[in-house]
Amino acid sequence: MDAKLLNPFIQAAVEVLKAEVDTDVTRGEISMQKSSLTSDDITVLINLVGDVYGVVMYGMQKNTCLNLVSKIMGQEFTELNSLAQSGMAELGNVISGRATIRFSETGYKSNISTPTVLTGNGIEISTLDFPRIVVPLETQFGILTVHLALRTKNPGEPHNPDEFISLIKAPLSPKVS
Amino acid sequence: MNVKFLNPFVSSAHDILSLEMHEPVERGDLRLDHGSYQTDDVTVIISLVGAVDGTVFYSMSKEVAVGLASVLMGEKFDSLDRLAQSGVAELGNVITGQASMKLAEAGFESNISTPSLIIGKGATISTLEFPRLVVPLTTSIGSLTIHLALREGLQSNLKTPELEVPKVDFLQKGE
Repeated sequence: MDAKLLNPFIQAAVEVLKAEVDTDVTRGEISMQKSSLTSDDITVLINLVGDVYGVVMYGMQKNTCLNLVSKIMGQEFTELNSLAQSGMAELGNVISGRATIRFSETGYKSNISTPTVLTGNGIEISTLDFPRIVVPLETQFGILTVHLALRTKNPGEPHNPDEFISLIKAPLSPKVS
Repeated sequence: MNVKFLNPFVSSAHDILSLEMHEPVERGDLRLDHGSYQTDDVTVIISLVGAVDGTVFYSMSKEVAVGLASVLMGEKFDSLDRLAQSGVAELGNVITGQASMKLAEAGFESNISTPSLIIGKGATISTLEFPRLVVPLTTSIGSLTIHLALREGLQSNLKTPELEVPKVDFLQKGE
Protein backbone atom coordinates (compact mmCIF):
# COMPACT_ATOMS: atom_id res chain seq x y z
CA MET A 1 0.00 0.00 0.00
CA ASP A 2 1.12 3.47 -0.86
CA ALA A 3 2.24 5.32 2.27
CA LYS A 4 1.03 8.65 0.89
CA LEU A 5 -2.48 7.41 1.60
CA LEU A 6 -1.68 7.25 5.26
CA ASN A 7 -1.28 10.90 6.20
CA PRO A 8 -4.70 12.10 5.09
CA PHE A 9 -6.29 9.52 7.38
CA ILE A 10 -4.11 10.33 10.34
CA GLN A 11 -4.64 14.05 9.90
CA ALA A 12 -8.36 13.57 9.50
CA ALA A 13 -8.52 11.37 12.59
CA VAL A 14 -6.53 13.84 14.66
CA GLU A 15 -8.70 16.77 13.57
CA VAL A 16 -11.99 14.96 14.00
CA LEU A 17 -11.08 13.57 17.42
CA LYS A 18 -9.96 17.03 18.52
CA ALA A 19 -13.17 18.62 17.29
CA GLU A 20 -15.60 15.93 18.45
CA VAL A 21 -14.18 14.75 21.74
CA ASP A 22 -11.52 17.38 22.44
CA THR A 23 -8.66 14.97 22.89
CA ASP A 24 -5.06 15.14 21.83
CA VAL A 25 -3.87 12.20 19.83
CA THR A 26 -0.52 10.45 20.03
CA ARG A 27 0.33 8.26 17.11
CA GLY A 28 1.77 4.88 18.01
CA GLU A 29 4.13 2.80 15.95
CA ILE A 30 3.00 2.16 12.38
CA SER A 31 3.18 -1.40 11.14
CA MET A 32 2.42 -3.20 7.91
CA GLN A 33 0.49 -6.44 8.21
CA LYS A 34 -0.19 -9.01 5.56
CA SER A 35 -2.15 -11.45 7.69
CA SER A 36 -5.80 -11.11 8.57
CA LEU A 37 -6.86 -8.67 11.22
CA THR A 38 -8.08 -10.24 14.44
CA SER A 39 -10.96 -8.08 15.51
CA ASP A 40 -11.07 -6.05 18.67
CA ASP A 41 -14.36 -5.62 20.56
CA ILE A 42 -15.75 -3.28 17.95
CA THR A 43 -14.66 -2.62 14.38
CA VAL A 44 -16.14 -0.04 12.03
CA LEU A 45 -15.58 -1.02 8.41
CA ILE A 46 -15.86 1.49 5.58
CA ASN A 47 -15.07 0.80 1.94
CA LEU A 48 -13.64 3.30 -0.50
CA VAL A 49 -14.40 3.16 -4.20
CA GLY A 50 -12.88 5.33 -6.89
CA ASP A 51 -9.32 6.42 -7.57
CA VAL A 52 -8.42 5.36 -4.06
CA TYR A 53 -10.08 2.05 -3.29
CA GLY A 54 -10.07 -0.60 -0.63
CA VAL A 55 -11.19 -0.72 2.95
CA VAL A 56 -10.49 1.23 6.12
CA MET A 57 -11.28 -0.20 9.54
CA TYR A 58 -11.37 1.45 12.94
CA GLY A 59 -10.90 -1.01 15.77
CA MET A 60 -11.13 -0.42 19.50
CA GLN A 61 -12.01 -1.97 22.81
CA LYS A 62 -15.46 -1.70 24.25
CA ASN A 63 -14.48 0.83 26.91
CA THR A 64 -12.79 3.08 24.39
CA CYS A 65 -15.88 3.01 22.25
CA LEU A 66 -18.19 3.74 25.16
CA ASN A 67 -15.98 6.61 26.33
CA LEU A 68 -15.83 8.17 22.88
CA VAL A 69 -19.52 7.79 22.18
CA SER A 70 -20.53 9.10 25.62
CA LYS A 71 -18.45 12.20 24.97
CA ILE A 72 -19.72 12.73 21.41
CA MET A 73 -23.38 12.23 22.23
CA GLY A 74 -23.26 13.96 25.61
CA GLN A 75 -24.90 11.07 27.45
CA GLU A 76 -23.48 8.17 29.38
CA PHE A 77 -23.33 4.85 27.55
CA THR A 78 -22.65 1.65 29.49
CA GLU A 79 -23.29 -0.86 26.75
CA LEU A 80 -22.70 -1.15 23.04
CA ASN A 81 -26.30 -0.68 22.04
CA SER A 82 -27.42 0.33 18.58
CA LEU A 83 -27.22 4.05 19.36
CA ALA A 84 -23.64 3.68 20.60
CA GLN A 85 -22.77 1.66 17.51
CA SER A 86 -24.24 4.23 15.19
CA GLY A 87 -22.35 6.97 17.02
CA MET A 88 -19.11 5.10 16.49
CA ALA A 89 -19.98 4.41 12.85
CA GLU A 90 -20.61 8.10 12.38
CA LEU A 91 -17.20 8.93 13.79
CA GLY A 92 -15.61 6.52 11.28
CA ASN A 93 -17.72 8.07 8.58
CA VAL A 94 -16.61 11.61 9.38
CA ILE A 95 -12.92 10.67 9.57
CA SER A 96 -13.06 8.70 6.31
CA GLY A 97 -15.05 11.42 4.58
CA ARG A 98 -12.57 14.05 5.57
CA ALA A 99 -9.68 11.88 4.39
CA THR A 100 -11.30 11.44 0.97
CA ILE A 101 -11.71 15.20 0.70
CA ARG A 102 -7.96 15.47 1.16
CA PHE A 103 -7.43 12.83 -1.53
CA SER A 104 -9.64 14.74 -3.91
CA GLU A 105 -7.54 17.86 -3.36
CA THR A 106 -4.63 15.91 -4.84
CA GLY A 107 -6.72 14.74 -7.79
CA TYR A 108 -7.78 11.34 -6.49
CA LYS A 109 -11.54 11.19 -6.33
CA SER A 110 -13.19 8.51 -4.27
CA ASN A 111 -16.40 7.86 -2.42
CA ILE A 112 -16.97 6.10 0.85
CA SER A 113 -19.53 3.42 1.53
CA THR A 114 -22.00 3.29 4.35
CA PRO A 115 -20.32 1.96 7.49
CA THR A 116 -20.71 -1.59 8.76
CA VAL A 117 -20.14 -2.28 12.44
CA LEU A 118 -18.67 -5.57 13.57
CA THR A 119 -18.83 -6.45 17.25
CA GLY A 120 -17.27 -9.47 18.89
CA ASN A 121 -13.57 -9.96 19.37
CA GLY A 122 -11.32 -12.66 18.02
CA ILE A 123 -12.95 -12.77 14.60
CA GLU A 124 -10.66 -12.74 11.59
CA ILE A 125 -11.16 -10.04 8.98
CA SER A 126 -9.24 -10.67 5.80
CA THR A 127 -8.58 -8.02 3.19
CA LEU A 128 -7.23 -10.80 0.96
CA ASP A 129 -4.28 -9.62 -1.07
CA PHE A 130 -4.43 -6.04 0.25
CA PRO A 131 -1.77 -5.58 2.94
CA ARG A 132 -2.84 -3.33 5.79
CA ILE A 133 -1.10 -0.36 7.32
CA VAL A 134 -1.94 -0.32 11.00
CA VAL A 135 -1.79 2.90 12.99
CA PRO A 136 -2.67 2.98 16.69
CA LEU A 137 -3.92 6.38 17.84
CA GLU A 138 -3.73 6.95 21.56
CA THR A 139 -6.31 9.28 23.04
CA GLN A 140 -7.29 10.04 26.60
CA PHE A 141 -10.29 7.75 26.03
CA GLY A 142 -8.26 4.76 24.92
CA ILE A 143 -6.62 3.51 21.76
CA LEU A 144 -8.30 3.75 18.37
CA THR A 145 -6.53 1.59 15.81
CA VAL A 146 -6.83 2.57 12.16
CA HIS A 147 -6.31 -0.18 9.57
CA LEU A 148 -5.86 0.92 5.98
CA ALA A 149 -5.93 -1.53 3.09
CA LEU A 150 -6.01 0.85 0.16
CA ARG A 151 -4.73 1.14 -3.36
CA THR A 152 -4.76 3.82 -5.97
CA LYS A 153 -5.28 3.89 -9.68
CA ASN A 154 -4.70 6.77 -12.03
CA PRO A 155 -7.33 9.48 -11.66
CA GLY A 156 -10.16 9.09 -14.12
CA GLU A 157 -9.57 5.44 -14.98
CA PRO A 158 -12.71 3.34 -14.84
CA HIS A 159 -13.48 2.07 -11.40
CA ASN A 160 -13.53 -1.59 -12.16
CA PRO A 161 -10.10 -2.86 -13.03
CA ASP A 162 -9.88 -4.77 -16.30
CA GLU A 163 -9.28 -8.10 -14.69
CA PHE A 164 -12.56 -7.74 -12.86
CA ILE A 165 -14.56 -7.14 -16.05
CA SER A 166 -12.85 -10.02 -17.81
CA LEU A 167 -13.72 -12.32 -14.97
CA ILE A 168 -17.36 -11.68 -15.46
CA LYS A 169 -17.29 -12.16 -19.19
CA ALA A 170 -15.05 -15.20 -19.17
CA PRO A 171 -16.14 -18.40 -17.47
CA LEU A 172 -15.47 -18.03 -13.79
CA SER A 173 -12.68 -20.54 -13.69
CA PRO A 174 -11.14 -22.41 -16.55
CA LYS A 175 -11.38 -26.00 -15.50
CA VAL A 176 -8.66 -28.41 -16.44
CA SER A 177 -10.23 -31.48 -17.93
CA MET B 1 -34.68 -1.76 1.83
CA ASN B 2 -35.92 -1.39 -1.66
CA VAL B 3 -37.20 -4.76 -2.89
CA LYS B 4 -36.56 -3.91 -6.54
CA PHE B 5 -32.85 -4.24 -5.87
CA LEU B 6 -33.37 -7.88 -5.00
CA ASN B 7 -33.88 -9.46 -8.39
CA PRO B 8 -30.53 -8.50 -9.96
CA PHE B 9 -28.73 -10.15 -7.06
CA VAL B 10 -30.83 -13.28 -7.00
CA SER B 11 -30.66 -13.75 -10.75
CA SER B 12 -26.89 -13.10 -10.86
CA ALA B 13 -26.25 -15.50 -8.01
CA HIS B 14 -28.50 -18.06 -9.64
CA ASP B 15 -26.85 -17.72 -13.07
CA ILE B 16 -23.31 -17.86 -11.78
CA LEU B 17 -23.84 -20.71 -9.33
CA SER B 18 -25.86 -22.76 -11.80
CA LEU B 19 -23.24 -22.23 -14.48
CA GLU B 20 -20.39 -23.23 -12.22
CA MET B 21 -22.07 -26.14 -10.54
CA HIS B 22 -23.97 -27.45 -13.56
CA GLU B 23 -27.16 -27.76 -11.58
CA PRO B 24 -30.07 -25.56 -10.60
CA VAL B 25 -29.97 -23.49 -7.44
CA GLU B 26 -33.05 -23.14 -5.29
CA ARG B 27 -34.17 -20.07 -3.49
CA GLY B 28 -35.64 -20.35 -0.01
CA ASP B 29 -38.06 -18.02 1.76
CA LEU B 30 -37.20 -14.34 1.79
CA ARG B 31 -37.30 -12.41 5.01
CA LEU B 32 -36.60 -8.90 6.19
CA ASP B 33 -34.35 -8.57 9.23
CA HIS B 34 -34.13 -5.38 11.24
CA GLY B 35 -31.72 -6.54 13.88
CA SER B 36 -28.04 -7.17 13.45
CA TYR B 37 -26.69 -10.30 11.89
CA GLN B 38 -24.85 -13.05 13.78
CA THR B 39 -22.06 -14.23 11.54
CA ASP B 40 -21.83 -17.71 10.14
CA ASP B 41 -18.34 -19.22 9.69
CA VAL B 42 -17.55 -17.20 6.58
CA THR B 43 -18.98 -13.87 5.45
CA VAL B 44 -18.01 -11.89 2.36
CA ILE B 45 -18.77 -8.18 2.68
CA ILE B 46 -19.00 -5.91 -0.35
CA SER B 47 -20.32 -2.36 -0.43
CA LEU B 48 -22.13 -0.56 -3.20
CA VAL B 49 -21.66 3.16 -3.60
CA GLY B 50 -23.65 5.32 -5.99
CA ALA B 51 -27.27 5.26 -7.06
CA VAL B 52 -27.58 2.14 -4.92
CA ASP B 53 -25.93 2.51 -1.54
CA GLY B 54 -25.26 -0.05 1.13
CA THR B 55 -23.76 -3.42 1.82
CA VAL B 56 -24.15 -6.98 0.59
CA PHE B 57 -23.08 -10.01 2.63
CA TYR B 58 -22.70 -13.55 1.44
CA SER B 59 -22.65 -15.88 4.40
CA MET B 60 -22.03 -19.60 4.58
CA SER B 61 -20.62 -22.36 6.74
CA LYS B 62 -17.00 -23.33 6.45
CA GLU B 63 -17.87 -26.57 4.66
CA VAL B 64 -19.86 -24.71 2.03
CA ALA B 65 -17.07 -22.15 1.61
CA VAL B 66 -14.50 -24.89 1.07
CA GLY B 67 -16.89 -26.74 -1.26
CA LEU B 68 -17.65 -23.65 -3.34
CA ALA B 69 -13.98 -22.73 -3.58
CA SER B 70 -13.21 -26.26 -4.79
CA VAL B 71 -15.88 -26.04 -7.49
CA LEU B 72 -14.96 -22.53 -8.59
CA MET B 73 -11.23 -23.02 -8.74
CA GLY B 74 -11.33 -26.54 -10.08
CA GLU B 75 -9.14 -28.03 -7.40
CA LYS B 76 -9.90 -29.79 -4.17
CA PHE B 77 -9.47 -27.76 -0.99
CA ASP B 78 -9.45 -29.39 2.43
CA SER B 79 -9.35 -26.23 4.46
CA LEU B 80 -10.16 -22.58 4.02
CA ASP B 81 -6.62 -21.51 3.21
CA ARG B 82 -5.69 -18.22 1.58
CA LEU B 83 -6.41 -19.39 -1.92
CA ALA B 84 -9.77 -20.85 -0.96
CA GLN B 85 -10.59 -17.59 0.83
CA SER B 86 -9.84 -15.59 -2.26
CA GLY B 87 -12.00 -17.97 -4.30
CA VAL B 88 -14.97 -17.35 -2.02
CA ALA B 89 -14.37 -13.59 -2.06
CA GLU B 90 -14.15 -13.72 -5.84
CA LEU B 91 -17.52 -15.43 -6.00
CA GLY B 92 -19.02 -12.55 -4.02
CA ASN B 93 -17.22 -10.13 -6.28
CA VAL B 94 -18.51 -11.67 -9.47
CA ILE B 95 -22.12 -11.97 -8.26
CA THR B 96 -22.11 -8.39 -6.98
CA GLY B 97 -20.40 -7.14 -10.15
CA GLN B 98 -22.95 -8.75 -12.40
CA ALA B 99 -25.82 -7.52 -10.21
CA SER B 100 -24.44 -3.97 -10.32
CA MET B 101 -24.31 -4.14 -14.11
CA LYS B 102 -27.95 -5.14 -14.16
CA LEU B 103 -28.75 -2.31 -11.79
CA ALA B 104 -26.84 0.09 -14.04
CA GLU B 105 -28.88 -1.07 -17.04
CA ALA B 106 -31.97 -0.21 -15.05
CA GLY B 107 -30.64 3.28 -14.37
CA PHE B 108 -28.95 2.72 -11.03
CA GLU B 109 -25.27 3.23 -11.63
CA SER B 110 -23.08 2.15 -8.71
CA ASN B 111 -19.56 1.14 -7.96
CA ILE B 112 -18.75 -1.92 -5.96
CA SER B 113 -15.99 -2.11 -3.39
CA THR B 114 -13.30 -4.69 -2.97
CA PRO B 115 -14.47 -7.64 -0.89
CA SER B 116 -13.55 -8.24 2.73
CA LEU B 117 -13.84 -11.63 4.31
CA ILE B 118 -14.95 -12.23 7.88
CA ILE B 119 -14.01 -15.59 9.30
CA GLY B 120 -15.41 -16.65 12.61
CA LYS B 121 -18.81 -17.54 13.89
CA GLY B 122 -20.87 -15.57 16.37
CA ALA B 123 -19.69 -12.01 15.78
CA THR B 124 -22.38 -9.43 15.23
CA ILE B 125 -22.52 -7.31 12.13
CA SER B 126 -24.75 -4.28 12.14
CA THR B 127 -25.76 -2.32 9.09
CA LEU B 128 -27.23 0.27 11.49
CA GLU B 129 -30.50 1.70 10.25
CA PHE B 130 -30.47 -0.37 7.05
CA PRO B 131 -32.79 -3.37 7.32
CA ARG B 132 -31.52 -6.49 5.58
CA LEU B 133 -33.33 -8.54 3.01
CA VAL B 134 -32.21 -12.13 3.54
CA VAL B 135 -32.23 -14.60 0.65
CA PRO B 136 -31.23 -18.22 1.31
CA LEU B 137 -29.99 -20.17 -1.70
CA THR B 138 -29.62 -23.92 -1.63
CA THR B 139 -27.09 -25.83 -3.70
CA SER B 140 -26.02 -29.45 -3.55
CA ILE B 141 -22.98 -28.37 -1.53
CA GLY B 142 -25.06 -26.59 1.08
CA SER B 143 -26.68 -23.24 1.57
CA LEU B 144 -25.43 -19.77 0.86
CA THR B 145 -27.29 -16.78 2.24
CA ILE B 146 -27.35 -13.37 0.63
CA HIS B 147 -28.04 -10.37 2.84
CA LEU B 148 -28.91 -7.12 1.12
CA ALA B 149 -28.87 -3.87 3.06
CA LEU B 150 -29.34 -1.42 0.22
CA ARG B 151 -31.15 1.79 -0.51
CA GLU B 152 -31.26 4.40 -3.19
CA GLY B 153 -28.13 6.46 -2.86
CA LEU B 154 -27.83 10.16 -2.40
CA GLN B 155 -25.25 10.36 -5.16
CA SER B 156 -27.68 9.06 -7.72
CA ASN B 157 -28.32 10.87 -10.93
CA LEU B 158 -31.59 9.21 -11.56
CA LYS B 159 -33.07 8.78 -14.99
CA THR B 160 -36.50 7.60 -13.91
CA PRO B 161 -35.31 4.07 -13.28
CA GLU B 162 -37.60 1.19 -14.04
CA LEU B 163 -36.70 -2.22 -12.81
CA GLU B 164 -38.46 -5.33 -13.90
CA VAL B 165 -40.79 -6.97 -11.47
CA PRO B 166 -39.36 -10.39 -10.60
CA LYS B 167 -40.91 -12.86 -12.98
CA VAL B 168 -38.16 -15.32 -13.72
CA ASP B 169 -39.07 -18.92 -13.03
CA PHE B 170 -36.52 -19.61 -10.38
CA LEU B 171 -38.02 -16.87 -8.25
CA GLN B 172 -40.86 -19.26 -7.64
CA LYS B 173 -39.71 -21.13 -4.65
CA GLY B 174 -38.77 -24.72 -5.35
CA GLU B 175 -39.43 -26.23 -8.69
